[in-house]
Amino acid sequence: MSVPDYMQCAEDHQTVLVVVQPVGIVPEDQFFRIYKRISSVNQVNVRDTQRALFIRYRHHYPPENNEWGDFQTHRKVVGLISVTSCSSAKEWPQTAERFHGQKELFGSTLYDSRLLVFGLQGDIAEQQRTDVAFYPSYDNCPDVEKRVEDFVESIFIVLESKRLDRATDKSGDKIPLLCVPFEKKDFVGLDTDSRHYKKRCQGRMRKHVGDLCLQAGMLQDALVHYHMAVELLRSVNDFLWLGAALEGLCSASVIFHYPGGTAGKSGARKPSISAATDTGKRHRPGAQEVLIDPGALTTSGISADTSSEIGRAKNCLSQEDIIEKYKEAISYYGKYKNAGVIELEACVKAVRVLAIQKRAMEASEFLQNAVYINLGQLSEEEKIQRYSVLSELYELIGFHRKSAFFKRVAAMQCVAPTIPDPGWKACYRLLLETLPGYSLSLDPKDFSKGTHRGWAAVQMRLLHELVYASRRMGNPGLSVRHLSFLLQTMLDFLSDQEKKEVTQSLENYTSKCPGGMNIITLPDGLKLPPVPFTKLPIVKSVSLLNLPASLRPHKVKGLPGQGVTSASPFIYSPITLHSRGDDRTKKIDFQWVQGDVCEVQLMVYNPMPFELRVENMGLLMSGVEFESLPAALSLPAESGLYPVTLVGVPRTAGNITVNGYHTSVFGVSSDCLLDSLVGVKSSGCTVEVVPSLPRLQLSTSLPRSARLCGEDLSSSVCLQLFNGETQQLVITLENIGSETLNTLEMSSKTLTTKEKLFGDFLSWDLQDALSRLPLKPGQAVTVPVDIHAKLDFSGQENLLQDLNDDGISVTGLPISSPLRQVLKPRPENKQVNADTSKSEYNHVKTLEAVLNFRYSGGLGQVEGYYREISLGVKVDVEPSVFFTRVSTLPASSTRQCHLLLDVFNPTEHELTLTARNQQLILHSSECQRMAIQVDKFDFESLPMPSHDVLRQSSLYQQEEERQQAHGGQINSTLDLRWNIISFSCQLLSSLCSSGEASVEGVLTQLVLEHMQLAPLQWDVLVNGKACDSDVVADCKVGDAVPLEVKLTNRSKSPVGPFSLTVVPFQDYQNGVQNSELQDVVTFIGSNSFYIDSVSPAGNSTCVGALLFLYTGDFYLSIKFQDDSVGRDLPPASFCLPSVHVRAQEPVEVAA
Amino acid sequence: MAVCVAVIAKENYPLYIRSVPSQSELKFHYTVHTSLDVVEEKISTAGKAMAEQRELYLGLLYPTEDYKVYGYVTNSKVKFVIVVDSSNTSLRDNEIRSMFRKLHNSFTDVMCNPFYNPGDPIQSRAFDSMVSAMMVQSS
Repeated sequence: MSVPDYMQCAEDHQTVLVVVQPVGIVPEDQFFRIYKRISSVNQVNVRDTQRALFIRYRHHYPPENNEWGDFQTHRKVVGLISVTSCSSAKEWPQTAERFHGQKELFGSTLYDSRLLVFGLQGDIAEQQRTDVAFYPSYDNCPDVEKRVEDFVESIFIVLESKRLDRATDKSGDKIPLLCVPFEKKDFVGLDTDSRHYKKRCQGRMRKHVGDLCLQAGMLQDALVHYHMAVELLRSVNDFLWLGAALEGLCSASVIFHYPGGTAGKSGARKPSISAATDTGKRHRPGAQEVLIDPGALTTSGISADTSSEIGRAKNCLSQEDIIEKYKEAISYYGKYKNAGVIELEACVKAVRVLAIQKRAMEASEFLQNAVYINLGQLSEEEKIQRYSVLSELYELIGFHRKSAFFKRVAAMQCVAPTIPDPGWKACYRLLLETLPGYSLSLDPKDFSKGTHRGWAAVQMRLLHELVYASRRMGNPGLSVRHLSFLLQTMLDFLSDQEKKEVTQSLENYTSKCPGGMNIITLPDGLKLPPVPFTKLPIVKSVSLLNLPASLRPHKVKGLPGQGVTSASPFIYSPITLHSRGDDRTKKIDFQWVQGDVCEVQLMVYNPMPFELRVENMGLLMSGVEFESLPAALSLPAESGLYPVTLVGVPRTAGNITVNGYHTSVFGVSSDCLLDSLVGVKSSGCTVEVVPSLPRLQLSTSLPRSARLCGEDLSSSVCLQLFNGETQQLVITLENIGSETLNTLEMSSKTLTTKEKLFGDFLSWDLQDALSRLPLKPGQAVTVPVDIHAKLDFSGQENLLQDLNDDGISVTGLPISSPLRQVLKPRPENKQVNADTSKSEYNHVKTLEAVLNFRYSGGLGQVEGYYREISLGVKVDVEPSVFFTRVSTLPASSTRQCHLLLDVFNPTEHELTLTARNQQLILHSSECQRMAIQVDKFDFESLPMPSHDVLRQSSLYQQEEERQQAHGGQINSTLDLRWNIISFSCQLLSSLCSSGEASVEGVLTQLVLEHMQLAPLQWDVLVNGKACDSDVVADCKVGDAVPLEVKLTNRSKSPVGPFSLTVVPFQDYQNGVQNSELQDVVTFIGSNSFYIDSVSPAGNSTCVGALLFLYTGDFYLSIKFQDDSVGRDLPPASFCLPSVHVRAQEPVEVAA
Repeated sequence: MAVCVAVIAKENYPLYIRSVPSQSELKFHYTVHTSLDVVEEKISTAGKAMAEQRELYLGLLYPTEDYKVYGYVTNSKVKFVIVVDSSNTSLRDNEIRSMFRKLHNSFTDVMCNPFYNPGDPIQSRAFDSMVSAMMVQSS
């Protein structure tokens, strides 16, 4: 006996063995269908008795095992059911012949046999035979089960008769010696009459009867017989049979204690080895009743003593004893080399019992023993079976690791080099079964929580074996998956060399079968989840990037939907709601625009000791339609953090969420979801995508320059101007987007400088551009912008000082002046120190401003979004002219005055200054005075700023503003222009530049006052003609000359009353004035006038007359009689024009 | 004395495993790994019986053809496994016990290190040299 049945369990001792075999050609599936139906009849309650018979079916049974049938009767084939196909009567004899041949095989032990014939119809099928049943087809055989039951009953009858026969055989003179096959030759020539021999025969027979009793359902009888057998055999030291008797005792006790059976549900057998399907049906509901019912025992009526209750308790072993007896039995079996199979099976049975008793330690000892049982040369298949059974048994007692170990050994055995046709599939399947034992799952999610903790060395080995097995199975997809898993989960434990090897083989495999993200389903239903390479490269942070400033969408304020919806009713609360780990769901406060490329920055690093090529790296987005634009990157070995920007274009509007990214590394494409990544920093992954907006590209007529600091600008221009110069900048705006641009607004912002700026820095005309809206994609508009640099023209303080010392008529600065050295650097170091001198030369001032274009269109406009594009303008203003000092001189007329300007040319060029009709040429660093006659100004008539502004601004500011307004007016009147003729000798060309100059900044309060028209305007009319200083009024001698003095009050308060006296005098032009003219000029009426008080804006006139008696040039001086009246008004208010009257001969005389 | 010394965490993953370099390391990994079954079984059965008086020393876990595997469990369920050569018959139970005691003391020192993070693999040099000493004595 060489083939162990590893599925054996203690209660199998109770069963009778029936072999079911096909005869002739029977389709396998049909046979197993019938076999299944037959084996469903595994327990039959025998009629008339209340005993039950249990049947074990086998479709394959080695005849040499049958030879051990006397040793343990459950090993004996007692029944044979043959299944055959027979289509015609012609075949019948042959089939019957074969059936008989089969019966011969087990002939010596068979109690009964049956033949099931399928397909045969006709005469033969009509005949009634007990041992043959005919069925028309495999599908049409309703009473198979019934037939089998009848068959079992017939077996029972034989069994019962044998039992009775043997049991009552006590008196028999000669008890035959039962023996196992290998003993036969040992007993040759033994004295058969010795007492010892007789006892041995008796003992063995007792044991045999015990077996039969057990099979026949008489448990108590069996126990008694076993006990007796043990006694007998012990006394003659027949160890093999003593072991068998003890085992029988154990089996009977186990059946008594565990009517549910000991095989459990785990006895799944491999179909290739034994396709017995009777597993899992070991529960025998009838068994218990049989045992409990005393009637069952009495009906047997054989031994009265065994039927008593006392006997039952006494004979049955306790749970502890069962194990002890098993141990004893096994130790006896161990003495015989040829009983290895028996010993092994006993061990297996004991382990099953122990598993039920939950005595794992002892069970493991039995198993340990079983491992060492040598069964001689085992075939590879038997080895595999043995290891898998060991594994199953270890599993049964909860030793999962040990179980996994043996399963792995079995797997390796499947593909042992000695096997000509290695079973890689079986190996692979067995390896998969070991996974739980090594606490390894094939789901990478289980490894995503922190560092991996486990038996890395062992697990890696297993994974390598899985990879190899799946490759040899011819399933490269599977091996790619396993290898990816190995690389992903065991990366920390791989040495550099191993990393290289693994990746190399992975690349080899993927060249044949690229790895993907699909779930691989194995034929047995196991699903292998995809393995995303989240560690190749490792992503440390994910941040969504805002669009560049010029492309950011802005929401039009005041539109509905803009309202602040905060979770908290408080504007501010010190209690901040901690949203720990919730960062990823947080929404980011900027928007992306549909149709525009948006970016996500990942910080990645490469943990591999070699360069890592990541291909096809792109974003995984959800929420809106998204077109990812994948990138390929190459990370250097063991790189530090490395920024990678992934881009894509949202195609629809809505909320977009970054779910992860996909990569393709070593030919394996993986989708890495951020949720499953550990230690990824993110500031939120959801962003709103607004509907598409047009896109403007800005270009200017001037070259671009470096960006201005501190401002987020799309572009900027930089230019150099002389103070007062104006330059035009043409801005071209082209719609490079796909949406039509509907609105365009423009604004400017001057960055705060400490320089005082006069006038508008930037001015533009948008009308032309607006008239061309809407702007279709690809079209462009131009906007001309005037840049007007007009800063303070006043000289600096130190310069003023120098000039003050020097007087007015300087043409150059003193040699000692530091400024002079700066202004006139020596020619030899001019080139070298150009830059340094410039920085020293503090007179260059910088003006910065930002031009903003706000535009919108398309769907985004409907939603209330717009975009802004901005242009920074930076102007370096060089000084053109300086007005170092300003003063006034009264002109001859009270309405006019002379403005004296000390003009300094700080440039290196010749400069022409024009004011009204005057022109002044200044050489470099020359200072000259310029006098301009100007009318006085009536500042009161200037519009005053509104009251709102007045209220808000301080008094000082008001004053400032007023002064500025005054300055502006003066300036516009003066129309000062400069012209620099030779611009630059370095450029080898004489360029002309010109600009305005402004005196605004230099005007002092005093000068302003001087230039202001008096609040009281005095008009003197002679002969109805207004007289002023230079106008000579003609009159005739003898004629009365009417003299009218008119006072117009422009001040805000009433003035007067005044009394005026007119004093005529003659100027001899030599400094002598003659006022004694009483006889030359007479007054008609009074020579003094009285003007009543004049209310604001009112006027008052008083009229007198003069009579010139002689010809001559006369002057009239009008004086105030009372000086005290003007105490609260400035003296300028009382400056009356002097009147020059030329008295001539009457016309008649002249004529 | 020992051919393999292993420290296994409460969650049954190795904190430290070292074997004599002459033999395949993987083999010892397998041996120690499978021995955990027995350790667990012993803990679970002994734990029920006398929870507080349980002896830390578990004794021989199982003999294989070439080796004997001994186990020891601290009260914090950290397991020590020592594998000795079966041929070395001079070793008595007492000597194995003293080895475990030494191992336990050294492990306690490792745990006392404020920079050691419980659950991390043991990288202490002192512990390593102590284990080396244990293994050197055998050869």
